Order: sequence, then C-alpha cells, then structure tokens
Amino acid sequence: MSINMLLVTVGMVLATFMTRAALLLAGQRFKLSPRVEAALRYAPVCALAVLIVPEVVVQAGTVNVSLTNPRLAGALAAAAFFLWKRSMVGCIVVGMVIVVAFRLA
Amino acid sequence: MRAALPAAPGVVAWGLVTGVAMVKSGLAVHWALLISLLVYAGSAQLATLPLIVAGQPFWIVALAAFVTNLRFVIYSASLRRWFEAFSLRRRAVLGYFTGDFTFAMFMDRVRREGEFAHRDAWFLGACGFNWLVWQVTSIVGILAATAIPSEWGLQFAGTLALLALAIPLCLEWPGLAGAAVAAPIAVLARGLPFGLGLFAGIVAGICAAVAVDALLARRKATAQHQGDELS
Repeated sequence: MSINMLLVTVGMVLATFMTRAALLLAGQRFKLSPRVEAALRYAPVCALAVLIVPEVVVQAGTVNVSLTNPRLAGALAAAAFFLWKRSMVGCIVVGMVIVVAFRLA
Repeated sequence: MRAALPAAPGVVAWGLVTGVAMVKSGLAVHWALLISLLVYAGSAQLATLPLIVAGQPFWIVALAAFVTNLRFVIYSASLRRWFEAFSLRRRAVLGYFTGDFTFAMFMDRVRREGEFAHRDAWFLGACGFNWLVWQVTSIVGILAATAIPSEWGLQFAGTLALLALAIPLCLEWPGLAGAAVAAPIAVLARGLPFGLGLFAGIVAGICAAVAVDALLARRKATAQHQGDELS
C-alpha cells in the first residue's frame, strides 16, 4: 500500500509537471497542429465528465438516474445554481445541503 | 501579489474542499499532506481520488492526472513565447507554479502591455501567493477533516467542485458533445479493469468534441464564403 502510494505521488507530480512545463522547456521547437490543439482543448472536459458522472449516478454499485439518488439530486441542484450565479462556493454548498437533507429525511 | 488577490476567496474554498475531500475519501493524512505539497494541482488531485481509493495501479492514476491537467499544455503553448528568453531552470520553475487564474491574469497583462519588464518575477509573485494560499487552506482542510465524521459525506464536496469546473467547458457545443459521449461510456464500462472504461470514455469524448469543432468551423467558413460572394 505504501509503496503504491509513493508511486502514485511521484507519478502525479511528474504527470502534472509535464503538462505545465514541457512546452515551456521545449521552447518554440514543437508546434502544435490545430487538430492536436483541439484535442488538447477538449480532453479536460471529457476527463472531468468520466470522473464526475459515475460518482454521481452510481449508487452502491448500481446506476440510479432517478431523483431518489441524493447525489444526483444534489448535483443537479448544484449545477442549476452554478449556471444561475456562477459561484463555485455556492455550487458546493447547494449540493451538500441537498445531500445532507436526504440523509436527515 | 496584489494582482492575485481577487482570486483568493476561490482558492481558499478550492483548497479547503480538496483537503477535506482527500482525507474523507480515505487517504491517510500523511499521504494527503505530501500529495498536496508536491503535486499542487487541485483538479487532478480531486479527479484521481476515486481511482486512488479503489486501489488502481499508480500509472492509471498518473495517466488520469495527466489528462485532467492537459489544459495546461494549451496554457504553456501561449506562455512560452513570453518566457523563451529565460533559462531552462527558470522556465521549469515558472511551469511548476502555473495555475489557472495566474495564467489568465498574465495573458491579460501581456495583451495590454506586451513584453513588460520583470514579467517572470511578476508571474512568480502572483503564482507564489496563490501557491501559499492554496497550501495553507488545503492543509487546514486535511487536518480539519480528521475531526469531521465520515457520515457527513463531505468527500462529495470534491465532486461538486469539479462539477463547477466542468460546467463552463460544457457551454460550448464541442465540449458538451465530448462530455455527453464520454460520461455514459464511463458509467456503462465502469467494471472494466485498469480504468479502461474511463479512458474509452475520454478517447470517444475527445473524438466527438473534435468532430463537432471541425463541423462548426466548416459551417462558419461556408457562411463567411457566402457572405463574401454576396458583397
């Protein structure tokens, strides 16, 4: 477990450093083609989607896309609030309030 | 430093949430501290949490962190012409400290003033301030999390923070198409080993987004062409 966590940490440091510094270090030698640039531009939203959505719709191992799923209800309310106010803090607070309300109900 | 102040409240919230979410997802406090201090990439840290907790091999986690952070390749492509005169070491430091907000501020300033003097120091000052605020709040979050019962489900706050990051990217058609294709694949293929479902989703999503992007560009070019003929 510990060795794996060490590798995870080192791997994350290298991976995130490379995204930030590789082009700065290479200077003007590498040109990004427009197609590669488009792929790079849309990769993060795809990565975020595959990491967020399963966390939200999978409840105890099975997919639950009805509003009886507290996380889905919370995420939808949070998304609506974010679209309205553009506040990340508000988005987190609204989502958590809904999830906690489910727990208390 | 003063230039970085407007972003501080956002960085404070983001740091706290990341710290709390790391510990409440089941990461030991010492690993959470180490990752926070060294990795310094909030979205990648939050995004990889479910993978780390599920015991995925380290290279899967690193690959996921890499993809989540790919926006910085775009950032550094715009930054490099302003920093290419500096030494390799200086550029490595500048790269490590680049953040979303400091990048946006820097590009705003060079757009107005061009190659202003001491721009590396200005950039590092803003980034250093950001780094400090982030580290302090994220460590506070990590330590506070040990006092919060897990039943509160606070790790979900991390997912919500990522949601706030993803929504603006989905307000353009290509981004929305990418997310709409990627997410269902990841959900349906979640049982596959080595996080293959995630990567299948990401690759399919990127293809969809690039296709929509190309389609929109072509349509725009045609409209422009017709406009030229009419005038």
